[in-house]
Amino acid sequence: MAKQIYDVIVIGTGAGGGMAIHALCEAGAKVCALNGSRRLDPRKDFRNHRQPYDMPFRGFGDPKKSKDYIGYMDNEYTEGIWEHEIAYTTAPGTVWTWRRCFAVGGKTNFWGRSSARFGDIDFKAASRDGYDVDWPVTYAEMAPYYSRVERMIGVASTVQNRPSNPDGEYLPPMNFRCIDRILESGSKKVGIPYLPDRIAQLTRNHAGHPACHYCGNCTEGCDTGSFFSTPWFFLPAAEKSGNLEIRTNALAKNILTDENGHASGVAYVDRTTKQEVEVYGRAVVVAASCVESARILLNSKSRHWPGGIANSSGQVGRNLCDHLYGTLARGFFPQLLGQPSFPDNVSSSTVAWMPRWQNLENPKQEKFIRGYSVYPDGGCSGFPYYADRLEGFGRNFKREIKRRYPTPVSFYIQAPTQRSDSNYVSIDPDVKDIFGIPAARITFEWGKNELLMWEHGKQACEDLLRASGAEYIGAGEIDIPGTSLHETGTCRMGNDPKHFVTNRFGQTHDVPNLYICDASVFPNCTDKTTTISILAFSLRTAEHLIENRKA
Amino acid sequence: MANQSPDRREMLAMLAKVAVIGQFPGFSRWACAGEHSHDQPSSPRPATYQPLFFQPSEYKTIDQLTELIIPKDDSPGAHDAGVVEFIDFMVAHDDELQYPFRAGLAWLNAFATEKYGADFSGLTPQEQEILLGKLAYRAQRSPVEVQGQEFFALVRKYTVFGYYTSRIGLEELDYPGLQIYSASPECPHKDDPEHKHLPAPRF
Repeated sequence: MAKQIYDVIVIGTGAGGGMAIHALCEAGAKVCALNGSRRLDPRKDFRNHRQPYDMPFRGFGDPKKSKDYIGYMDNEYTEGIWEHEIAYTTAPGTVWTWRRCFAVGGKTNFWGRSSARFGDIDFKAASRDGYDVDWPVTYAEMAPYYSRVERMIGVASTVQNRPSNPDGEYLPPMNFRCIDRILESGSKKVGIPYLPDRIAQLTRNHAGHPACHYCGNCTEGCDTGSFFSTPWFFLPAAEKSGNLEIRTNALAKNILTDENGHASGVAYVDRTTKQEVEVYGRAVVVAASCVESARILLNSKSRHWPGGIANSSGQVGRNLCDHLYGTLARGFFPQLLGQPSFPDNVSSSTVAWMPRWQNLENPKQEKFIRGYSVYPDGGCSGFPYYADRLEGFGRNFKREIKRRYPTPVSFYIQAPTQRSDSNYVSIDPDVKDIFGIPAARITFEWGKNELLMWEHGKQACEDLLRASGAEYIGAGEIDIPGTSLHETGTCRMGNDPKHFVTNRFGQTHDVPNLYICDASVFPNCTDKTTTISILAFSLRTAEHLIENRKA
Repeated sequence: MANQSPDRREMLAMLAKVAVIGQFPGFSRWACAGEHSHDQPSSPRPATYQPLFFQPSEYKTIDQLTELIIPKDDSPGAHDAGVVEFIDFMVAHDDELQYPFRAGLAWLNAFATEKYGADFSGLTPQEQEILLGKLAYRAQRSPVEVQGQEFFALVRKYTVFGYYTSRIGLEELDYPGLQIYSASPECPHKDDPEHKHLPAPRF
């Protein structure tokens, strides 16, 4: 039997892979998608409508398993979905938490949905402040892709005319809750923007998908597909086209090469049989997420590519960036004490945001360069966490918990790390995962710039709380690196093949039929979340690939 | 419901199907304590919960402690919410909790015997409250009772977990989540952005 050769092998079905699959199949390419784990069944796997008392352990999880949960999204509601089998290591001194969803659709099943466009303030940041390099693209080039993505996925927001945030094409915004109105009033006194977030949550029916019902448990997966994920939005049509074959439990191991060193396919381990399988294609798209993609390239060693495929620059795995996350401030609103409960917890994340307001006019106005954004949170949530801080027991204790129920407020920072030689992904020389694939090793530490942002943000949010009439309780902690799931930079795009892994279209400089469609191509990290930009860049890369095939 | 789109109706039908009710700890008391919404399938519930970890006397003490911490007043308390069932279930599944609970109960009984000459569960409610007050309030605490203070904090923590994740507890808070709204809920106090002129507190 002649071996089957697909037009394109796509590794990964998350935001980057899913968009590439969508665009390629629509253009008529025969695609084989490799996915590291199983398909989810929304009826069984998405338990987002269960009350805590519908879960055996009330959502806290079986203590025997919950001690191994990685981060808050890995919980009793999503048990069995986050990856625990594939080993990774950290260098001495590095702490890194790494939640990975290898199920079909990847992290789009559970993402936070905040969807702000990058702008020239991000792409040309180096020209403004002299640090690192500009991106090899302009906002004018990217804007049409963002618009197309917004039309596909549906993003709710308003036109805001913020210097750091290009406006897009939006569905009606989520409405402001009581806490938002109060903070909005305070924000005007302290000069911090307080606006509707850009959130990929459908405030009306959109593109065949039903409007959100605001149950508030999005991060446990959506069983109505009312926010974007590739299994709801992209993969069904691609499979229907007859051009897509998804291979599940196919854990990509390395890229295969031909006699010219070009990509000829992918070797993967079938997790059900533990056998290695090869699949062949005329082009390969790597979209396994930032760290995994670097791991696959670095593990793809051959005569042509002794240091890993597409790595003649030595930059694969380098320049790892992340978002510093943490709770800048906590407080409560005395004006809401004893008020009736209000549906505050309607999106499980962000109704409002405080988009970057630092270093806008003058890039060196602050002690740090660039800027950060903040997400406010609060109101009537699923659990009265503040009870810990109350003293006593009995009727007063119970009444105080109820009285305070609408009042909590907190702020979460999203601060970009800057590119640094000391932050990178490499292959652990000693450790392999249970399938014999050498493990990724992460070397990472926070830098001075983002720690200065953290200090700045703590003061700003304390000021905002006081200006809003809230009682300030204190600051929280910085989260463990990796918490944000916004890794970028391990396969940076740039025009110079000596210093960058891919060209401005996500095509690797070394291997013309090898493309990268995830956040690893982003030269650095911004104050914005990554998914919508992964989608926009992936769409552009996929269309570049299609053009190249025609040529 | 009349003006809902076909999409939304279909969705609501689907949600009704996925709504599940478990046979989980804390449930045995809900049949009599809380009202059930119409869309829940009537699945059989265990009439009584069989403790998995605590001895009967320990179980009784934990039940009393939880009710002291979150008592019945205008709304049901921890006993009605079956919090002791939840705690027993969690402790049975968590090796790291078993010693602190067992040793803590023993400490509490010794403390009760020293002060009042009987195990904790044999004291009057007033005596129990006085004893717990010594463990709960900073002003009354004694450094020699650190183990008891830690035990009280542990029981209180798990009582809060158990109560406010039960149907009764979520109804007590009037938890507004996991419901279906036709539009994103909006602040109703439009003319009072700072919320300085709200109606008098209800609670």
